[in-house]
Amino acid sequence: MVTKDKQYVEHMDALQAFSRGLQEPEWMLQLRLEALKQIDSLEPPVIERLRYTRWPLWQVPNLTGAPAPLSIDPYEYIEDKADTARVVQTGNDTVIETLPESLKEKGVIFTDLHTALREHPELVKEAYMTKVVKPGENKITAFHAAFMNSGLFLYVPKNLELTDPLEAVFIQNSLVEDSFVKHVLIYADTNSNFNYVEKFLTKGDKKNAANIMVEVIAKAGAQVKYSAVDQLGVNSTVYFHRKGYTHRDATIDWAIGVMNSGNVIADFDTDLVGNGSSSDLKAVGISNGRQTQVIDSNVVNFGNSTQGNIFQHGVILDSATLTFNGIGHIIKGAKQADAQQESRVLMLSDKARGDANPILLIDEFEVTAGHAASVGRVDPEEMYYLMSRGIEQEEAERLVIRGFLGAVIQAIPLKGVRDELVETIERKLTTK
Amino acid sequence: MAVLEIKNLHASIEDKEILKGVNLTMKTGEIHAIMGPNGTGKSTLAAAIMGHPSYEVTEGEVLLDGENLLELDVDERARAGVFLAVQYPSEIAGITNAEFMRAAINSRREEDDKISVMEFIEKLDEKMALLDMDEEMAERYLNEGFSGGEKKRNEILQLLMIEPTFAILDEIDSGLDIDALQVVSKGVNQMRGEGFGSLIITHYQRLLNYITPDVVHIMMDGRVVKTGGAELAQQLEAEGYKGLVEELGLDIELDED
Repeated sequence: MVTKDKQYVEHMDALQAFSRGLQEPEWMLQLRLEALKQIDSLEPPVIERLRYTRWPLWQVPNLTGAPAPLSIDPYEYIEDKADTARVVQTGNDTVIETLPESLKEKGVIFTDLHTALREHPELVKEAYMTKVVKPGENKITAFHAAFMNSGLFLYVPKNLELTDPLEAVFIQNSLVEDSFVKHVLIYADTNSNFNYVEKFLTKGDKKNAANIMVEVIAKAGAQVKYSAVDQLGVNSTVYFHRKGYTHRDATIDWAIGVMNSGNVIADFDTDLVGNGSSSDLKAVGISNGRQTQVIDSNVVNFGNSTQGNIFQHGVILDSATLTFNGIGHIIKGAKQADAQQESRVLMLSDKARGDANPILLIDEFEVTAGHAASVGRVDPEEMYYLMSRGIEQEEAERLVIRGFLGAVIQAIPLKGVRDELVETIERKLTTK
Repeated sequence: MAVLEIKNLHASIEDKEILKGVNLTMKTGEIHAIMGPNGTGKSTLAAAIMGHPSYEVTEGEVLLDGENLLELDVDERARAGVFLAVQYPSEIAGITNAEFMRAAINSRREEDDKISVMEFIEKLDEKMALLDMDEEMAERYLNEGFSGGEKKRNEILQLLMIEPTFAILDEIDSGLDIDALQVVSKGVNQMRGEGFGSLIITHYQRLLNYITPDVVHIMMDGRVVKTGGAELAQQLEAEGYKGLVEELGLDIELDED
């Protein structure tokens, strides 16, 4: 490891001051300090097919609590929309927060994490890093728990069904040097049903680390449809950890576009704990330039009759690397569980490196499971056919890429998300 | 008027020579047919003109108004005015038929002169109606899950949408029933005119009942062995390739009836 012994505990005083400055409750401070003590002794998680010990993920964020000297105009990235449920954060600051009155009245909470800590401390305390992700799991979770510097809290009450999606936009402020340690906590109470749409972007080109955790708790019968388009910048080194936890008959469906420009580990996990619960993970990724992105999808079936699907397609250009690890794990006792996965990677350049690595771990007999994986190149016959109609090579490649990713994109239920993904793909392919 | 000249064209696949010096000249306003037994190089000729990556041209030229197409990339050849309709087009999932055709049309247009959505849809509707194609075919993925007949209609639809100067139709009639054959012929006949020439490769005379050729070429063993008018196709229908081999005194083994 690049870190030295006891490197982190030196920050204890600063961290205490930071927590007090944010008026955090005592339990939060204790959670931070406890995690801080563990960072030095914990190891980073093992990611199949990746060595990342030299990745600059470990820079302690600015703990002075002073506002960033350079700020961002969020309207560079978003449109002005009245009456939508939306939270926009630039760096650590929440700059836009709108929630229709009707939702407030019904008890929906959609606000930055520190506001939630003040206004709804019990709810946050119940859910924050208690069950889904725990601080002591590994070096990264401990680092996160200690140094989390901003976040978002979403609570949807029992039996509430929302038709319009809730939107979150996070713009990393890389006009300044500071680690981006963001926490998103989503609490879907019993039988609630909603769409949540998320975007991560970077403004500026300072070399920064990002350590992003998303926890989704789906209580009995809740249905969460989570969509995200990640577009963090070329100089951001990122560890993304999105993790869901399902109670009985709950569903968490993920649709994620991994379209970052820098080096990224994206860990997408779901623990299917309650009987009859399910999760469907759809991910598309593009790696280009010299970047490495590793997408590590992990669904664990604990409950009976749980169903986990992983469906991921990716494209690699230039001398980039893209790896899909698909891990389906059925725990002993999870009868009638089902774990399916398909990972496919298409390489468009001789220097591209791709990997699709399916792993099925099955400890129970009465189950069904299946996997498909492939790493391939563009069929020259397809390119010839497209070009024989006058389409230039670059445009033909773009069509093939869109077609290849389209299989996953078309399966995403929200049209707005599909369009956004297609646009992002175009953008990523034209800005090499 | 545009001219397509094929001069002493030699081409091979995996070092096996298939074309052994093809010569053929055609002009816009003309429909030419190439007939010949299987394995005689007809499809190789089409693929070599278009620039299929599996074929290597070892000698000769293909000139379009004096410009050697063989020096151009596949897409440049297409934009120069050549179109090839094939029997077994690629199936590409995720790209809709309409999207593909728009990209093809726009590849021929300047950046500030792309075809508008309305203009495109109107043209597409008109051409699909002519070919008796269901509207939903436009939104289906390119050739994916299309039947043999649907694929061929779709090739002709592209021909009508792109409006090339010269179209080569490579055995577009094989496996089609009479209805489909008539529809496909209707499409080609609609293109017929001053600014359009077509080279129709066919194994059977049948298609030529619907599209009357101005010139018929017979190809055998990698060469054009005889050229004549529409009556040559009829003669062939009556006497078969065997009769022609004997008439011309060729030393060729026919690997079929």
